[in-house]
Amino acid sequence: MSFKLTVDGVTHTIDIVRRRPHLVVRIDGREHEISATGSFDEGRQTIEIAGAPVHFTRAHSGDQLLVRLGGRTFETAIVDPRAEAAGAGGGLDVFKAPMPGAVVSLHKQPGDEVQRGETVVTIESMKLQTALAAPRDGRIAELLRQEGQTFEKDDVLVRLEPAADGA
Amino acid sequence: MNRRTDPQTTATAAKTVPFRKVLIANRGEIACRVIRTLRAMGIASVAIHHRVEANARHVRMADEAVEITGDTPVAAHLDAAQIIAAAKQTGADAIHPGYGFLSENAKFAKAVADAGIVFIGPDAATIELMGDKISARNFAEKHGVPVAPSVMPTGDLKAFAAAAEKIGFPMLIKAAAGGGGKGMSIVRSAKDMAEAARIASSEAMRYFGDGRVYAEVYVEKPRHIEVQVLGDGKGGAIHLYERECSVQRRFQKIIEEAPAANLPAKLRDAICRSAVDLAKASNYKNAGTVEFILGADGRYFFLEMNTRLQVEHPVTEMITGLDLVKAQIEIAAEQGLPLAQKDVGIDGHAIECRICAEDPARDFMPETGQLRYLGVPEAPWLRFENALDSGQKITADFDPMLAKLVVHGETRDEAASRSVEALHELALLGVKTNTDYLARVLDHDAFRAGELHTGFVPQHAGELAAGEPDAQTLDTVLIAAALGFREFHDLAFDVPEPHASIGGWRN
Repeated sequence: MSFKLTVDGVTHTIDIVRRRPHLVVRIDGREHEISATGSFDEGRQTIEIAGAPVHFTRAHSGDQLLVRLGGRTFETAIVDPRAEAAGAGGGLDVFKAPMPGAVVSLHKQPGDEVQRGETVVTIESMKLQTALAAPRDGRIAELLRQEGQTFEKDDVLVRLEPAADGA
Repeated sequence: MNRRTDPQTTATAAKTVPFRKVLIANRGEIACRVIRTLRAMGIASVAIHHRVEANARHVRMADEAVEITGDTPVAAHLDAAQIIAAAKQTGADAIHPGYGFLSENAKFAKAVADAGIVFIGPDAATIELMGDKISARNFAEKHGVPVAPSVMPTGDLKAFAAAAEKIGFPMLIKAAAGGGGKGMSIVRSAKDMAEAARIASSEAMRYFGDGRVYAEVYVEKPRHIEVQVLGDGKGGAIHLYERECSVQRRFQKIIEEAPAANLPAKLRDAICRSAVDLAKASNYKNAGTVEFILGADGRYFFLEMNTRLQVEHPVTEMITGLDLVKAQIEIAAEQGLPLAQKDVGIDGHAIECRICAEDPARDFMPETGQLRYLGVPEAPWLRFENALDSGQKITADFDPMLAKLVVHGETRDEAASRSVEALHELALLGVKTNTDYLARVLDHDAFRAGELHTGFVPQHAGELAAGEPDAQTLDTVLIAAALGFREFHDLAFDVPEPHASIGGWRN
């Protein structure tokens, strides 16, 4: 019986080996006995792995569960099996704002051909200018923000025409 | 010894309470910091806020609060007329500007004074003198403070480039009205000079509405050393020793310490004396900071003077035991300096880390999010300066600095180790921060050895990047995360035993 999680974007599989008397899981071939599973809550937590206490902090943020352990924060999420199946090749048709800000200048117009890495939009966020480059070769379908307009983080700024088959 | 964790506010208790009520023309951690001292001195506090921060910590902490309006929250905090009206309306007899916003705005200082309110800072003329890099530099030079050989601005970029060539390369181009790295660039040869000057000038025009640029000798691997001074406005001035702020990214400080690492006593004395000379020559009145760059050859040059409380002032408070906000208030009330120079000592070492909402892995780009959990380190030797609330949205409305961790130790090494421990303990979940990056800097051998210069961050970029976690850590993280997901709980604990061995997890 397995459970898939991503840690900082990389997928890992946790297999439940035994549930009694203690929960035992296998990760990449390594077995761990969780002798105390702690509470389900957010915040400071203590569990025991092979009898040794492990302290960490945990909080949900959107779809993510943030885990802070050993002076480092990790972003984890459940892998949705359906998304996994549909995932290949998607996600490159739009570019999203990496942070809130405003459009300084547009370097392309709808219909223009762009090459991967070519600057399409210059944005300004918190006084810093950043060039946003095309994620792949293609043609601009739509520019969703004009010069001077503002946007929030993750807003779609540019849409490319869908890639032609076999391109 | 751990008694320096909070500035002492009792040393000069004999002085009368200088003001009844003070308005803080700021927000966030610095507003909270100022209110703390006002409270200790028995002075009432007035906070100002835009509607987006109506429930912010500084508003809740203050005795009174006034809403200010503006197209953006920052615009509201820059609206001098509204702020002065708020002070009048609440009967405040003084305004503390904090840092940033209107703290170095000569027009604001003048308007406050004209309204019959005390501005806790220098007069408008001093702010103006020091606010312009060129006039400040000329003033410093005139009073014997070392300045870098430089070329003054001219409308003729060709003549500018020719003059620069005579001094020699590399040179640094700066905006006369600048700050924060805007309009700055390094030029390494004569052929690049004219173009670099043109770009710097247009950037300066865009950011500061003033296109004047100048160029000065660029010191390779410079250290940023600054001196905290206090002036009484009558020619009396003392220094509270130096701070080192060499660890910077994007020309902005991220780690500051006091005193500087491995600074020879003679050199320290010379630098501190130069700072006092400048403060005395300008009849400086307030706490102020005289910034210098220090070359590997021991030459040091005046950079600029900040006529306000500095973000990193707590490290000086920790090693001297003085409350700088209290000193500012007493000076503004004509009660003079808190100590004579001979009574200012250095006790141990202090380090400040600026915790910012940013992603060190993406060139320190600002990040936004929502604070889902806040776990704050506590120890007698540290101050965690912040105005954060759990659940708070971290937006692009204000500066990305979220908090400051200020730690004291008997030695530099102890202060660094304690800082790392506190950074590990700090849990600020829901927005990416530089917390772990700062810990890696403090643990880096070059930092521990005091081998600092303003290019420290790019020089050690590779080693300062987050490495891959080892397998044991990764497994522990996966277990800790899995136990926090209901889906895993259901699978591991709730399913009746016979079924556990068959169906896998389904969404």
